Amino acid sequence: MDDGLQVGTVELGTAGPLALGPGAVVFTADNLAAKVIALAVDAPDRGPAGDGPVDVADLDVRIGALLGCDADDVVIRDLLVQRGSGDVLLSVQRGRGDTGTAVLLRLRRDDASIEEVPLVDVPTASWSLTDAPAIDDERVDARVGLPDEGEEFTYGELTFRLVKEPVRTSTVTDMAYVDGELLVAGLSNEEFASKLRRIAFPFVGAGQDSNLEIFHVSHGKWETAAPIRTFVPYADGASVLAAYTCTPVVHFPMADLGAGSKAVGRTVAELGAVNTPLDMATYRDADGEHLLVANTTHGLLKISCADIDAQTPLTEPREPVGVPREASDLEGIVRLANLDDRHVLVLQRADGHHHLRTVKTESL
Amino acid sequence: MTEASWSTLEGRHCLRVHGAGGGAHLAVWPASALASGTAPPPAAGEVVADGADLCFVPRFEFVEGTVYAVVVDDAPVAELVRHRAPRRATTEVLGIDPAVDQVPRNLLRLYVRFSARMSEGQSSSHLRLVDDAGQTLPYALLVVDDELWDGDRRRLTVLLDPARIKRGLVAHDTLGYPLEVGAAFRVVVDGAFLDATGTPLRGGASRRFEVGPDERRRVDPLAWSLTVPVAGSDQALRVVFDRPLDVALVARCLTVATVATGGHRVEGTGAVAPDGGSWSFVPHRPWGHEVQAIVVDEILEDLAGNSVRRVFDHDLDAGPPSGPSQGGHAVVRFVPAPP
Repeated sequence: MDDGLQVGTVELGTAGPLALGPGAVVFTADNLAAKVIALAVDAPDRGPAGDGPVDVADLDVRIGALLGCDADDVVIRDLLVQRGSGDVLLSVQRGRGDTGTAVLLRLRRDDASIEEVPLVDVPTASWSLTDAPAIDDERVDARVGLPDEGEEFTYGELTFRLVKEPVRTSTVTDMAYVDGELLVAGLSNEEFASKLRRIAFPFVGAGQDSNLEIFHVSHGKWETAAPIRTFVPYADGASVLAAYTCTPVVHFPMADLGAGSKAVGRTVAELGAVNTPLDMATYRDADGEHLLVANTTHGLLKISCADIDAQTPLTEPREPVGVPREASDLEGIVRLANLDDRHVLVLQRADGHHHLRTVKTESL
Repeated sequence: MTEASWSTLEGRHCLRVHGAGGGAHLAVWPASALASGTAPPPAAGEVVADGADLCFVPRFEFVEGTVYAVVVDDAPVAELVRHRAPRRATTEVLGIDPAVDQVPRNLLRLYVRFSARMSEGQSSSHLRLVDDAGQTLPYALLVVDDELWDGDRRRLTVLLDPARIKRGLVAHDTLGYPLEVGAAFRVVVDGAFLDATGTPLRGGASRRFEVGPDERRRVDPLAWSLTVPVAGSDQALRVVFDRPLDVALVARCLTVATVATGGHRVEGTGAVAPDGGSWSFVPHRPWGHEVQAIVVDEILEDLAGNSVRRVFDHDLDAGPPSGPSQGGHAVVRFVPAPP
């Protein structure tokens, strides 16, 4: 396909989340520059990737060694498993402050060695997440159609032309690619908005970026918006399950997430007090599709998608709340990725370090 | 005898090894990694022969304060600490917003402004809310992986845990609000917060707040009081809000437009009061006589996260959730006073 990428240099100011795109495309986000980046990461042809487990103890120590720093100076922001090679791509921040550097690393499936993914002279494209298009952005013409600044809006019988100020910083918390669109959830450093952006990929011009506010209802009584912390599409992209910073887990049919509309999701579970959702993944087995939710307080949570679809909106403010879920004894899971049909890769924090472990889905 | 030292090679920092011999194999590790017993890979970089010396030029710059182990032909040669340049602490906290004496119990957001760029990953250790007895208010703040900095990394946005503020959620029902009406608290930034050079602050900072009742009303621009300027003058338009608003959002959510000319923006300079209680706008050219409008982006929020469009958590029994705004904006009309 023509993915619209052009050979160039990927500038990463900060390490952000990762998402698998079509073909060799990988998405990441630079939260300092408020943009999402697509780049082609070739899968090395080394023959069959094998189906063995990927288990790397003290991954942060090993990454630190390669990057020439202590493990304390390594932040593993996200990971994913590359199609074909089965290699693990890691989004990593090395150091802090003015000397901080973001890198993309490859952990080889065959021998667990770690190497840098080149960011120079690679096919790439980016998309600004600020609300206001840049001066040279073709969307200006397409949207306004006049050599005039700003956008027109009407208020009663009045018409105004205004330039919308850009969001100062929109921190991307999670991303997923579904059927020609990149879904981007973020957290603003100013307004407390619940925005899910749908950005058409390949990145093109006008009208290909919708930004809708998603509400959820607590106990059938309080409607509220909040930033989405992590989300995962399931049912072949027909549904989205999102976990909010304030812990409700909310279901949306993708069809409801139209441009410019307000969507109200169905709260199907709550993760409880003093808990924060961290990452989600899905997998299928003979019993159907399941969701895994990594969170700060409980073990890895497993929820059946069939139970989500059957769950009526939560109305009782009491435990247990929402869909049946099983907490595994896998504690300290901070990131998840699908390794293959039968295994999930987890990044686990234990004993002060981060370890990569392979979990058989049948054991969950 | 083989010796290792810090050096430079063609302007690049390196670790120089003297006396190792031409065919020797040089590798460098952070000493902590080598001591971990996990057989980690060596640090990325290139080994360059410089006369009789071997130089390790790292792919990533050496980190100050880190101990590096130099290994030649699998034998440890030296452990060297990367020098930490002494730096005088010059960075300080410029302010903690909102600059008010009292906040609502359902306060959502604070800002800490620093005088210089800061290092990330510090806030959970060096910023906290404490009561008047000095006890930390537990679980008061939202923990996020990615701290919310502005583009310069000088202003940190701190959110109180929304799960404890939103009615109907488990965290709210079990733990209650992070704040308590009548119980003052302080936001404390300790001096160990590192700036972008890795240097601590000149000193810590704190701000004390009284806690008042909840604020659960939509931000209503029609409730603001205006002091209109005189037509033909360049007097300031003054707007006093009915409650303190989010200072950062006021700065980018208010615009003045002239209704008669098709709603074009009036060029001028807006200024928000430090306490978020008022805003003034001075035009670059004198005011005309025609009808003007303050155009308010509906994302504008107060201290509790209520916006022009919606309250923070809307009680569905109390009517429709969203405000009557159109096109994403609310409009307050005014006519400059006759001279």
